[in-house]
Amino acid sequence: MRSIWAVATNTIKQALRMKIAAVFIILLIVLLPVMGVAMTGDGTLKGRLQAFVSYGLSLTSFLLCLLTIAVSVYSLTSDFQQRQIYTVLTKPIRRFQFLFGKLLGVMLLNTALLVLFSAIIYAITIYTPKFSGATKAQLTQLNNEFFTARASLTPAEVDVTDEVLDTYRKLEKSGQLPPGVSRQKIIAELTSRKRLEKRAAVVGRELLWEFHNVKPVDPGRSLFIRFKYDVSVNPPDLHIYSRWFIGDNRQYPPQGYIFDRKDLIRTFYEIEVPADAVAEDGYLAIGFFNVPLNNTPVIFSSKEGLEVLYKADTFTANFLRAVSLILFRLVFLACLGILASTFLSFPVAILLCFVVFFTGTISGFIIESFDYLSENLSSVYFYTIRPVITLLPQFDKFNPSKFLVPARILDWSLLAKAAGLMVCIKAFFLLLLALLIFSYREIAKIII
Amino acid sequence: MEYAVETFSLTKIFSDWWGRNKVYAVDDLNLQIRYNEVFGFLGPNGSGKTTTLKVLLGLLYPTKGKVIVLGGDGSDPKISARIGFLPEESYLYRYLNARETLDFYGRLFGLERQVRKMRIEALLDMVGLKAVANRAVGTFSKGMARRIGLAQALINDPDLLILDEPTTGLDPIGTRQIKDLILELAKRGKTILLCSHLLADVEDVCDRIAILYGGKIQAKGHVRDLLQQTGKRQITTGSISDAAVDRIKQIVQEEHADCVVTSPMDKLETFFIKTVAKAGQQGRPTSGVVSDGTTQISDFLVSQSAEESRRTEILDKLVSAPVSRETSTKHVTAVQAGAVETSETEPQKELLSKLTEPAKPAKSKPVVRSEKVKAEPVVRRTPVGEPQADREQQEQIKKDVLDRLTGNGE
Repeated sequence: MRSIWAVATNTIKQALRMKIAAVFIILLIVLLPVMGVAMTGDGTLKGRLQAFVSYGLSLTSFLLCLLTIAVSVYSLTSDFQQRQIYTVLTKPIRRFQFLFGKLLGVMLLNTALLVLFSAIIYAITIYTPKFSGATKAQLTQLNNEFFTARASLTPAEVDVTDEVLDTYRKLEKSGQLPPGVSRQKIIAELTSRKRLEKRAAVVGRELLWEFHNVKPVDPGRSLFIRFKYDVSVNPPDLHIYSRWFIGDNRQYPPQGYIFDRKDLIRTFYEIEVPADAVAEDGYLAIGFFNVPLNNTPVIFSSKEGLEVLYKADTFTANFLRAVSLILFRLVFLACLGILASTFLSFPVAILLCFVVFFTGTISGFIIESFDYLSENLSSVYFYTIRPVITLLPQFDKFNPSKFLVPARILDWSLLAKAAGLMVCIKAFFLLLLALLIFSYREIAKIII
Repeated sequence: MEYAVETFSLTKIFSDWWGRNKVYAVDDLNLQIRYNEVFGFLGPNGSGKTTTLKVLLGLLYPTKGKVIVLGGDGSDPKISARIGFLPEESYLYRYLNARETLDFYGRLFGLERQVRKMRIEALLDMVGLKAVANRAVGTFSKGMARRIGLAQALINDPDLLILDEPTTGLDPIGTRQIKDLILELAKRGKTILLCSHLLADVEDVCDRIAILYGGKIQAKGHVRDLLQQTGKRQITTGSISDAAVDRIKQIVQEEHADCVVTSPMDKLETFFIKTVAKAGQQGRPTSGVVSDGTTQISDFLVSQSAEESRRTEILDKLVSAPVSRETSTKHVTAVQAGAVETSETEPQKELLSKLTEPAKPAKSKPVVRSEKVKAEPVVRRTPVGEPQADREQQEQIKKDVLDRLTGNGE
């Protein structure tokens, strides 16, 4: 243990004294407060805070990721290249202890820096409203929509299998099936069309969503309905007129709240509703009426078209969990850097790490595009590229801004999932591979 | 276990990326190094010396054959805790200062804080770097880095010291110090494997040598056995008259032998050390290693000053085993400048056998590592000659050397 600690402290000293860390530290120390002042977002106080938290955390995460890669790769490859490893590994230290020491050093440095910078971001975020002379109404709005951690409920996808099969049979019977197209393709096409139908409200019609088990922690506070309109034809003034019903419609007259609104298309809005709109048994109905003033059907996209949000935790707790998402990234990258430098020279190792890192940040996009391509080369893709892609980390899937900006709760189960995927499986696998390679390779052999 | 280091038909082939054999770095090497022996490993560049050391230490794996170091595997922590290694260049962390460097290595050995502190200070003192202990080693000259490298190799009081080109980059004083240190450590029961192509160094300190070429041993044996000229004899006298010389020549001619009469020359090394010592005593400032002659390891072998006993104390602190061997004769002769003595080139069988006797390795006397044993004074001759005579002699040497250097003496 003592030798692991010796290697770890040496690694930290190296990162600090070789000024690798200094560059990143200075950059962040200068940039974060500047961003705190300069960020305006959409002009409102909330927008300003959202922009700051989002960009601040993204920048911190990005720079710390680069730092982790640089330190972990440099630390080990320079030991090989400058051969200090000869004098170290001939001492009574096992090779795995040496690697653990390196990893521990990198992670200690990272954790310290992450704590420091997220504390700065947190402090700036918390104190900005106090110093910006916000009105009471603004503060209340902030507390409801930003300084909170809201659970979100999204409507479940309606099961359309039966309807689709029904339509297919009808088409088949009347001989209207397009020639030369496989059944699978037609079914897929019909399914997506049906689903869209279920999410669309034509003029003069109502869409109704029903939620069960809505349990706000604090019945005195508000619920939020977050929505975004999509349209097939742009209305002349780009606005949609609507009537919303939120409450319990199982009885007559329905108990609830009615809102008449006029909103821009393709923009997120939130309707604040008192929490007592939810029935005792956790039932909540939301109705959207496409008033005849409009001349276009309104579509709610499946992922972000409509959500019910309610406070489930505090901002601080959510912030801490969001920051730990960044920590998981760093653990993964540290293990990756160490693995790469056990068998590659500095430039190659760092290049490999950067490639993995950048692919990881856009992995969602890559997987989607490959999934699209794979329709034609399914089995080849399934057994070759897909496993490689899924081995990559999915940084974008676990992006902290995604939760903090809309004040959405990052619950423990998601955090555990991120930890499990990124640290327990992927990082562990990398570390295991690194240990194997490092334990069996000839130390004095030079890698070119 | 008879041998501290033993290799059995050790072969190391470096192959290229495709696995094709490229170079036989070491070829069927059988090497035995006894306990408490100073073993010289010689050879030109690229003859496989360093490769052999790396295999011994587990940094490279043998292609064929086997090595046993201190009765086990050199990369096993239990064994490597007893080895000190100085690689061919001092590979140090440039951003650490001298003290931190030693502390780092001390911690790798799991030494307690107190022990570490004591040993680090003693080692810094010994290698003459105490004054620059807080400077980053990246700013050190090659020789200074070498000294730190040596100190790091000694931090664990090793039983086996593996030194790869220990004197490269060192000034003559440093070279001399290291040679003295090697002898002193050998006296305390340590085994030393010295790898070098500086023949003078090896000749001065080693009991046995092996010469390597092309990965194979070309010659091995006791230094004296290999080097002595049995057909010649040498007589050294004090200042005698020309008449006496003639008489001696006559006697030699009666024996039908050739005879050459010259004034013995001091070694340039000795002269250099004396000169620097003098400058040091005058208190000249230096940014390098403190070389005032009074703080040299070499001194405690040749003088009986208070400084000397302090030096011995340092070494006692650092090395747990007591002094066990007789002072090496090579060094006794080195200080015999003015004394009248007839040194026979006949091998001193008795002494040599004592030095290399396999029945008397350090192994045979139990070495209590934790116990610090006070060194008994080494039996040695005191420097001969009055201070006045000494100064005169120095002047003479100085003149001789200068003459030699400028070619005026011829």
